[in-house]
Amino acid sequence: MKLKALILFAILSSCKNDFLDKAPETVVPAAEFYKTESDFQQAIVGLYNPLRALYGTGLADVGAWAMGEMRSDNTTFSFNAANRGYADREYVDLFTDDANSGTTSNKYNSNYIIIGRANQVLKTIDAATFDEKQKNNFKGQALFLRAFCYFDLVQYFGDVPLALEPATSFEQTALPRTPREDVYKQIIADATLAASLLPAASAQTKGYVANGAAYALLGNVHLVLKQWENAESALTKITGYSLLPDYASVFDPNNKNNAESLFEVQYLDEPTAAAASNFGYNFLPILADPGVISGFPSGNSNSYAGWNTPTPDLINSYEAADKRKAASIGFYTGEGYVNRPYAKKFVHGAKIAPNTNDNWPVYRYAEVLLMLAEAQNEQAKPSALTSLNAVHAHPRTGLSPITTTAQTELREQILKERQIELAFENKRWPDLVRTGKAVAVMTAQGNKIKANPQAYYYPAGISPVAASYNVSETKLLFPIPQREIRLNPLLKQNPGY
Amino acid sequence: MKTNIYGTYNWFLTLVIGLIMFGGGDLLAQTQISGTIRDEKNTPMPGATITVKGTTHGVSTDANGAFSLSASADAILSVSFIGYSPKEIPVEGRTKIDVQLEVLSQTLSDVIVVAYGSQSKRNITGAVQTINQKELNDLPAAQLTQKLQGKMAGVQINQTTGIPGQGMSVRVRGQASISAGSDPLYVVDGFPITGNIANINPDEIENISVLKDASSTSLYGSRAANGVVIVTTKRAKAGTSTISVSAYTGIQQLPEKGRPDMMNASEFAQFKKEVALENGQTVPDMFQNPQQYGAGTNWYDAVTRQATIQNYSVSFNSSKDKFSTSVVAGYFKQNGVLLNSDYSRYSLRINTDYKFNDRVKIGFNAAPTFTDNHTPQSDGIWYNTPSIVQSAILTSPLAPFKNADGSIPLTTNGYGSADAPNWYNQIQVVKNTSRNSGLLANGFIEVEPVNNLVYKSGINIDLGNSVSDYFYPSTAGSVFNAPNEADASRINASHGNALAYSWLWENTLSFQKTIGEHQFDLLGGYTSQTAHAQTGLFTATGFPDNKIQTLNAAKTITGTTDIQSWTLLSFVGRVNYNFKQRYILSAAIRRDGSSKFGVDKRWGNFPSVSAGWVVSDESFMSGIRPVSFLKLRASYGVIGNNNVGNYTQYASVVATNNPVGNQNLSGKSIAGLNNTRLGWENTKELDFGVDIHFFNNRLKFGYDYYHKTTDDLLYTVDIPISSGFFNYATNIGKLAFWGHEVTLSSQNLAGNLSWNTDFNISFNKNKALALGTANAAIFGDNTITEVGKPLGQLYTLVWEGVYKNQADFDQSPKYADAEVGTVKFKDVNGDGVVTNDDRDKAVVGNSAPKAIFGITNSFAYRKFDLSIVGSGALGNKIINVSERFTTNLDGTFNVLKGVSRRWRSEENPGDGIYGKSKANTTSYERDWASSKFVYSANYFTIKNITLGYRVGLKENKYIHGLRVYASVQQAFVFTKYPGGNPEVSAAGGLFSGSDYTTYPVPRTFTLGVNFNL
Repeated sequence: MKLKALILFAILSSCKNDFLDKAPETVVPAAEFYKTESDFQQAIVGLYNPLRALYGTGLADVGAWAMGEMRSDNTTFSFNAANRGYADREYVDLFTDDANSGTTSNKYNSNYIIIGRANQVLKTIDAATFDEKQKNNFKGQALFLRAFCYFDLVQYFGDVPLALEPATSFEQTALPRTPREDVYKQIIADATLAASLLPAASAQTKGYVANGAAYALLGNVHLVLKQWENAESALTKITGYSLLPDYASVFDPNNKNNAESLFEVQYLDEPTAAAASNFGYNFLPILADPGVISGFPSGNSNSYAGWNTPTPDLINSYEAADKRKAASIGFYTGEGYVNRPYAKKFVHGAKIAPNTNDNWPVYRYAEVLLMLAEAQNEQAKPSALTSLNAVHAHPRTGLSPITTTAQTELREQILKERQIELAFENKRWPDLVRTGKAVAVMTAQGNKIKANPQAYYYPAGISPVAASYNVSETKLLFPIPQREIRLNPLLKQNPGY
Repeated sequence: MKTNIYGTYNWFLTLVIGLIMFGGGDLLAQTQISGTIRDEKNTPMPGATITVKGTTHGVSTDANGAFSLSASADAILSVSFIGYSPKEIPVEGRTKIDVQLEVLSQTLSDVIVVAYGSQSKRNITGAVQTINQKELNDLPAAQLTQKLQGKMAGVQINQTTGIPGQGMSVRVRGQASISAGSDPLYVVDGFPITGNIANINPDEIENISVLKDASSTSLYGSRAANGVVIVTTKRAKAGTSTISVSAYTGIQQLPEKGRPDMMNASEFAQFKKEVALENGQTVPDMFQNPQQYGAGTNWYDAVTRQATIQNYSVSFNSSKDKFSTSVVAGYFKQNGVLLNSDYSRYSLRINTDYKFNDRVKIGFNAAPTFTDNHTPQSDGIWYNTPSIVQSAILTSPLAPFKNADGSIPLTTNGYGSADAPNWYNQIQVVKNTSRNSGLLANGFIEVEPVNNLVYKSGINIDLGNSVSDYFYPSTAGSVFNAPNEADASRINASHGNALAYSWLWENTLSFQKTIGEHQFDLLGGYTSQTAHAQTGLFTATGFPDNKIQTLNAAKTITGTTDIQSWTLLSFVGRVNYNFKQRYILSAAIRRDGSSKFGVDKRWGNFPSVSAGWVVSDESFMSGIRPVSFLKLRASYGVIGNNNVGNYTQYASVVATNNPVGNQNLSGKSIAGLNNTRLGWENTKELDFGVDIHFFNNRLKFGYDYYHKTTDDLLYTVDIPISSGFFNYATNIGKLAFWGHEVTLSSQNLAGNLSWNTDFNISFNKNKALALGTANAAIFGDNTITEVGKPLGQLYTLVWEGVYKNQADFDQSPKYADAEVGTVKFKDVNGDGVVTNDDRDKAVVGNSAPKAIFGITNSFAYRKFDLSIVGSGALGNKIINVSERFTTNLDGTFNVLKGVSRRWRSEENPGDGIYGKSKANTTSYERDWASSKFVYSANYFTIKNITLGYRVGLKENKYIHGLRVYASVQQAFVFTKYPGGNPEVSAAGGLFSGSDYTTYPVPRTFTLGVNFNL
């Protein structure tokens, strides 16, 4: 017995290091991944995944629309007297948000998660051996998404930490804020390289970005930096896209990744995918039974809803003949509402509550044309009018061409056209900021709301708090999330927060 | 091994057959001898053992201390009882023999189970506390740890929720870690179990040792830092044969104290009316005449009930010749005080030892259990899960839970609170069951090849299997989402299963030698343990209706599976030495290799040393009469904590799918940073102790001081998200813990009325010495841990009531939306404004108690016995998060009665606690965590009162002893804490102290009976 035990003991002792190696069975250790084409194919899919959180997922979510639209004069919210639990969603609209805002950290976090994954791909892909064309395609997408996310960050937060390599140690994880000029340099470099590596739309699987998206991003960045010539040069390289004949069909979930779409965030209502959007439910007025809206199943009160509600001001900015109005804004009467507007552009019903199948358009060809118009107009090129009218007077709008050629007037026309054509697409707040109009427009907007809260969907007797819409230059940037400030002594909060 | 098992089996058969054939054989002329065994106070002693010397023939005394057995006239009787000096009495032809036993001069000859063996209490040099089964018997509780409340110095045992079969939190010496677990290691019959200690039937337990300091735990190495609880199960005593039955049954009910003091129907209607008026709105017809409603529905009552509890256990112990067996069969059933909740346990344990010959002994133990739970979602905040307790009390008391015609409404919509289900219905229609079966088993062989050298080899197995089923019908809902029976898309279900096993192979060699007055005791060993768990969880939607509640009726099923395993290889060694049993030294070491840790830090050593000096044996002490015993102890050692994920060291790539177009594609992403240097937490612990007994051991006093520093904290440290990750598992930071433990045990009265008091109190303190990056503080929901300060302090805004009037408002610092009549906070940093962040947050209390204490008084008078157990904590605070909702000023929910005294106007400012209910001014009072919700959680609870009576039975062949008793568990709770349960705060790590509403802890009245056959 004892001898047997001793022999077993000896055997066990000699193989003890194998005995102590327990690699996880349900996940892959990173050291064994990022090797093959299939690995990178999957890593790229994983790279797109956090975009869903960034643009919004879940009920009463905190998607990009809050900071991109509700902050602006385009939309506000329906005051939810019965359920004040979502009050912090309102603060971004009211300019009373602080560093604890879940909306702000959702944007900050989601962007950096994508950046981290892109860095991991970019760090490992050169050492892998597989088809060079495919490799360039993957690399181009990773570069595009990294540039896109930094662009989002720099517009909303100003100087941000610039991580371009995966951290390999704990010490490397805390980075200081990089001046925004340098962040922009990196964005331009990444987007330029992405544009050169990515295939054209015709050669790319639909739903993944092609070089057109990279040029659109580059054009957008140059517009923000007022580098008009560079913007125009990038935007004119975009080919292979066209406007759809019908405006509403651009946003139809049955028409995902259409000819007008350069880049859209992909959602899927298939229950097993757990990748549905919920925009419709969030943007509708609060309804005991959303089934009263065509396309929605009965039941499942969206008591958390009433977000991103179009303001009377936006509704009134549509020209009477504009067919886009009916496609963009719906009205509901019933359950105590009279003509309560909602962002119909993103409301297409649901098969199973509360999962919707709407994608979110990020760049579409209409915006490319409008960015081009802006770049051309700022260089006083007459071609601006052509570019603008390609959108404004497209048969799908039912409007006649704009004829003015005066640069200042055209500048206003282009901005307004962006407000209408791109309504609810998270463009309005950045437009107000980059054109220097945000403080004036939003102060005026706040006064209007306070003067007549009921016109802005407040119930009788309730009005926004006195401190709301106190808009100053410091409000043009959002606060760095509290968590980051606490964890990283190298970060300094934006002024005013 | 195999042949041995079969060999044993053959021996066993032979033995059984032999017993059957010759069992009744009368070999010698025997006479019947009877008598009574009494103690030093002349009280009869039930349970004393009388054996005929040189045979295995023996009996125990009955409840009256009487015995009767047959022996030859020239036999010698051995009489023994634990804690008393054994006596040998020659029969000398007598037929009646009465014996009086004397207390051992030192009860210190008690043998205490320690790591890898046992030791006499006298020779213990570490901090070890024990409790035996007698002290636990009468407490009507499902779980072992529940029965230990108040009994152990330095061990904080809290019942954090009343869910049957769940919710015990055990912390030894204030142990806390940032993200590694803080539960002690449970060792059952030498086997560090991986399953749940709650599944063990407490009636199987003979005794429990809690090992507290490093010298007593270091043989458990990398798992020892949280303390070790050693559980020893019952084995038959040599030469005895007994059958005993114990049973109790009782009623649990909710005491008045701890119930939420919500408004009744007319008060709520009045509140709704006032809120409407205050907001310039029309008062709905329903609330025009509040007085008409009276009390209405008490929702707390509607979802709770009186419930039964029962426990039966039968044990059979026999030790004859070479064969000894102990069988305990148990059934426990607790219906919960919340409707549709219960816990039942069926258990069996068979412990069998066989002495092959003088040199070889083998043993087999097997303990299968089966448990069955129905657990409604009771605990937590209403919006995270539809947790019933909180949701129910927030519901309008105007809403009926049963209609006048007996029908049950589905919803409570339309009565002034948010749309919600009828909780009385909800709790019954949502199904949540789990069933677990488990087996703890081991087999061992002990060989003594030469005298005093014992080789022991054992295999232990811990097997667990569980299935859980959940069904959420369309008749269920949540707050703001009332049921809609017709909407089948609401229906969802899940099915989970788990298979877990762990095996341990352990080989030890021990050697004892006495040379003159020098005693040596050596131990060496080698062990290897593997644990493996596979789990699956399948969720389903797309049910056509509520009829079939299993997953096969669903259209869409999604599932996920997981596999977790770890291995541990270890070497242990110990040397105990004493001279004259007066100077005692001990040194121990364990070397652990663990699969959980990075390749660069896989092996670690955990040494300890300790010494003891029995001062009272010295001649210079002989003059100090009152002191009957005095021992000084000191120990130092290094122990570890390896409670970290099994694969934390690896940077994993996980599935991260994403759709493209209308197709969901497989994706992957990296989920963390890898760390090849990940290791265990290292705790260095120093302990000084003194045990001193006075007046012939009538008063015993024990004191321990400990100091431990834990560094290389296993810590999933939060990192800036700009790295792409939220956290990183590493060893970083350093904590210090220190404290004092005092135990007092006093025999206040001896004689006809005896009265003993056991008291313990401990003072635990801690401090963070170093933390993560640049010592950045660690934040929990409402807590902060900062360098140089105690761990996990409550950290919120500082509440200052409401802005009472314009003058108060004008001269006070404000937040952006402040108004006269809204909540007021302190401007902590003095910048003139109030901001809901670190600038104005401050430490507002500590969730760790300054002192925890327990007291047990036991009385005996003739045939009566009475014991009263109490436990308590002092100096801790709880943030009662549920008050955020029960004081909601919007009129969305029912609220505490006190809300009627809210601010209404400058002339009518109320009691200054609640702000105004004007819409759009209420959210900060509720949403910004502040000291408003922080309460002292001092408490003292009479945990148990038991009154027993030994029934005098006439001499008979069938029942040898009978005792009946009545008991009250959780008898009285003395606390000013307004929430439901002052023990709620013990949740682990650095983030304790928040009360999110839990299943209430009932008061339990039971009647019980024990008898011996």
